[in-house]
Amino acid sequence: MFPRPIEKASPVSQFAYKAALPLALFVWLLPLLAIFLTSIRPALDIATGNMFGLPSQFVMFENYGQVLAQPNALRYMINTLIITVPTVILSVALACLTGYALAVYRFRWALPLFFVFVAGNFVPFQILMLPVVDLSVRLEMMNTIPGLVIFHAAFQTGFCTLFMRNFIKALPFELIEAARIEGVDEFKIFWHLVLPLVKPAIAALSVLIFTFIWNDFFWATVMLQDDANLPITVGVRTLNGEFVQQWQLISAASLLAALPPVIMFFAMQKHFIAGLTLGATKG
Amino acid sequence: MASATAASAGSLRASRYETDTARAAVAGVVLIVAAWLLFFVIDPGTVQNWLGYAQRSDARVPAFFVRFVLLLAVIVSAFMLVTSTGYYKRNRIRLAPWMFVSIGLIFFAIYVILPIFQSFSYSFTRWDGLRDINGVWTGEWVGFQNYQRLLEDPNFYTSLWNNLLWLVLYMLAVPVGLGIALFLNQTVTGIRIYKSLFFFPFVISQVVVGLIFTWAYNPEFGLVGEIWGWFFCEETTNILGNPTTVCSVDPPNILGDPNVATYGIIAAGLWPQIAYCMILYLTGLNNVSPDQIEAGRLDGARGWKMLRHVILPQLAPATFLAVVVTVIGALRSFDMIATMTQGGPFGSTNVLAYYMYDQAVGEGVGRYGYGSAIAVVLFAIMLVYISYFLWRMWQDEREAR
Repeated sequence: MFPRPIEKASPVSQFAYKAALPLALFVWLLPLLAIFLTSIRPALDIATGNMFGLPSQFVMFENYGQVLAQPNALRYMINTLIITVPTVILSVALACLTGYALAVYRFRWALPLFFVFVAGNFVPFQILMLPVVDLSVRLEMMNTIPGLVIFHAAFQTGFCTLFMRNFIKALPFELIEAARIEGVDEFKIFWHLVLPLVKPAIAALSVLIFTFIWNDFFWATVMLQDDANLPITVGVRTLNGEFVQQWQLISAASLLAALPPVIMFFAMQKHFIAGLTLGATKG
Repeated sequence: MASATAASAGSLRASRYETDTARAAVAGVVLIVAAWLLFFVIDPGTVQNWLGYAQRSDARVPAFFVRFVLLLAVIVSAFMLVTSTGYYKRNRIRLAPWMFVSIGLIFFAIYVILPIFQSFSYSFTRWDGLRDINGVWTGEWVGFQNYQRLLEDPNFYTSLWNNLLWLVLYMLAVPVGLGIALFLNQTVTGIRIYKSLFFFPFVISQVVVGLIFTWAYNPEFGLVGEIWGWFFCEETTNILGNPTTVCSVDPPNILGDPNVATYGIIAAGLWPQIAYCMILYLTGLNNVSPDQIEAGRLDGARGWKMLRHVILPQLAPATFLAVVVTVIGALRSFDMIATMTQGGPFGSTNVLAYYMYDQAVGEGVGRYGYGSAIAVVLFAIMLVYISYFLWRMWQDEREAR
């Protein structure tokens, strides 16, 4: 293990290390802590300049309640959810199929096709933006949530395929070979043999894509205009526009917007990190 | 199952590769009907008539679902049709991958691959993004005019310069991430919680990070103002007896100063990016072989030398990945700029990604041609890294074989 385990060091440096840990964490998360403190203080504190001391009153529920009581706040949250969940399902499902095809079959186009997915996944959004907008307008899907979902699902298929293909490639190929010799239909091999084996990959991808899509801002700004359709990342700006100078509400709204992916991360931490690293360390 | 296969193999051999006519016929009929409905019958107008919506635009979402179900029917019946033919059965291994890859590939081609080429062609036109009532394109071809204008546009050079700044400074995330990973790579109690809390900023959306830092940078209410106050300001009472703060040097208005605003945004952007690099390195450090470290120790390698000669070579995959995601993150920086400064003050924080958006749809006038030209430049920069990444992947694949 590198660096040398601290248990082998002198008691003094052990103590220093254990003291440095929370201190470093405090500095690292200082912006977040400060904004959290602001979000639980009464307006009075901010008026009198008590921005960083202890809140004179604990009004967390009042502040967050006030944000949620805004006419559109819940709407934005729900919109984000109905954009995010179908996107995750669609893109992961598609990627299972494409990843399987590109990992298991040794056909000449396997690698070029795989590279097309990988390369497409890295292009800047701006080069896709105008044609995608034009296409959505022509399909009469502009400014609708399904229109955005279909685009997201198609785009995320690139990353998901990269991930799935590498995951399936690492499975023992002999299993599939044996099933083929038995004469099992290709689709049945996929459904009954491979799918159960890639469950961890599906979990990791779902958590990751959920976070990506939840946090998406660019495509929602581009593809949605009606206030009733906006997700929270875009809506939070509208909300903040209404809370002029009410910093306690602005911070509460910002933290609320960030909350679901955070919960997702802490609940599914192992999958999340596996997703972030495995999907690409292999690449 | 094996015995059953063996027993029926003889009787099956004859029928196995023949076209299943009944199934093929049913699938074919479904395919034709669904495709016909999909392409020639269903539009929001029809759905509006069926369901009695008041307005055509209200009928768009239900129309979408009708189309989506029909599309699924087309796909499934097409698969049924193909798989029931004798030709497919004989060439199963050759055709099956195409069946599996087709849906994903078609979607990806329509929404990602084709638009790249379309953007190239847009960049040679002048177009406001509108079509006339028959859906006919209303722009005009102008050759290289957009690119010529780009070369004379000072905002373009500002954006390009800022992109360079982003690329260079964002790279700090890699060594800093490594540093934090080394710091945290211990086994004291509670270290797992520390690791996940350090990773925390990456999970928050960039919009929220932008909001947090906008507030932190605020010279009056924010963190910067507060910390500044500790060093340069003191509380006094003015003539009227009200408490005021007097500062020997005014706190900096980071986002309001054209000279430093970009650096402020980059610093904010580094926060989640460092967390990302850290987690990549932590996983990498987990996989470093203990034997080699032991061998290194026996050879007297310690500290920096050990890191340089034993650890870093083994962390090469993590470093590669960290560099790739950092470059992509730097070139994709949009959310932060949109939330923190909207390209201001005086266009000083524009990057290509934001400037493109601003030109194409931001000001209310669509400049699709000019915007596409900017996008093409951004794409060309990214293409350098994409090619490098693909080349590395190709090398790995060849080795794996």
